[in-house]
Amino acid sequence: MDIRFSSVSVSFGGRTVLQPLTLSLTERRIGVIGLNGSGKTTFARLINGLVKPATGTVTVNGLDTVQDASAALAEAGFIFQNPQHQIIMPIVHEDIAFGLKNRGLKADEIERRTATVLERFGITHLARRRVHELSGGETQLAAIASVLVTGPGILILDEPTNQLDLKNRRLVENTIAGLSEHTIVISHDLPLIEHFDRVLLFHEGKLIADGPAAESIRTYHAVAGC
Amino acid sequence: MLNGLNIEGTTLLHRMSVRAKLAILLVCGLALYAVSSLYILIPAFVIAAAIYFTTGLAFREAISRLKPILFTIMILLIATAYLTSIHEAAESFFRLMAIVLFAGAVTATTATGAFIDEITLLLQPLDRLGLVRAADVGLAFGLVLRFVPDIFNHYQSIKEAHRARGLKVRPLTILAPLIILTLKDADTIAMAIDARGFRRPREKPH
Repeated sequence: MDIRFSSVSVSFGGRTVLQPLTLSLTERRIGVIGLNGSGKTTFARLINGLVKPATGTVTVNGLDTVQDASAALAEAGFIFQNPQHQIIMPIVHEDIAFGLKNRGLKADEIERRTATVLERFGITHLARRRVHELSGGETQLAAIASVLVTGPGILILDEPTNQLDLKNRRLVENTIAGLSEHTIVISHDLPLIEHFDRVLLFHEGKLIADGPAAESIRTYHAVAGC
Repeated sequence: MLNGLNIEGTTLLHRMSVRAKLAILLVCGLALYAVSSLYILIPAFVIAAAIYFTTGLAFREAISRLKPILFTIMILLIATAYLTSIHEAAESFFRLMAIVLFAGAVTATTATGAFIDEITLLLQPLDRLGLVRAADVGLAFGLVLRFVPDIFNHYQSIKEAHRARGLKVRPLTILAPLIILTLKDADTIAMAIDARGFRRPREKPH
């Protein structure tokens, strides 16, 4: 993974939500923390081009997220805060297959890849289930499977354990820990990211800490005053 | 189409192709508007009800899917009875209910993906002329089917929130938050569609 931010800033309606930022991300597991409204989600959405920079450039594995938007998008999958919003088809199997169908794959290849990804995440038994019947953890797994079936090398998860009970939280945490893809996790769930290779801390649209998890988390406690 | 949730089964409708079902629905709809005899409309209603209630839907679920549209039909029925005659109102009722029940049966027996594929395919000639983006229309259609139940869930939550605060449930006070929530969801869903690369590129002419 090679993600590069070069003098990137973001403004919405004249308000700067991300101060000029230059950095490069290569580690396998990266955490992003900060108070609400600190710019974490904006930062993450820049990576797969969901947010366009006001200044500077973002490249993912050499692909510019504005100039080569589609190719860059294929490099980095994104799991939204509410995964229900990104599951378009009513049945789990249909949703996973839909992403592949849009890429013009043949029916037998779609079936093979769908079965493989369902097995990988241990959710084969959910294949024919309706999305709205799944638990929070199962919905997260279905969303992750739907995104990873298309083969992005990077997965960005926006608060993946938000609103999950302890059992579902463990399920999602274990799944994230076992991912072979590069992962960038935005989270308020500090135990989730405490063993990550690198943790970025944002505060008021500015990157104020960037380093080992323990250091960034310590700074976060100081910023939050608790 | 009442709800995005199809139910698995092996009935004749389940086995029939989407195109055949949509064609039959279209022909039946047009035919029912061409007749105004209760001797035809009532049996049509009974047949449509029989088809709908044998798709495999649980009775309670089948009835709950009909409720929102039934409410609209009842308003229409009262207005027609008041403005014209009870006979004409009865005709309208049986005609609309027959169409709604058959459409409900088609929805319950067809997977959303199959709907999307068929609509995309049917619109290809218009796509080639550059008039529409067939894939986008197919996706939009699928989104409606998928997210109608979500909008209904929002409505229920807002209604419960009203009750919890001791407020009277009024359509006007429910409508504003419902629209805001729906638009907010729509924004995220649009972003998710982009993130997952769901918008199919327009087919190039050969």
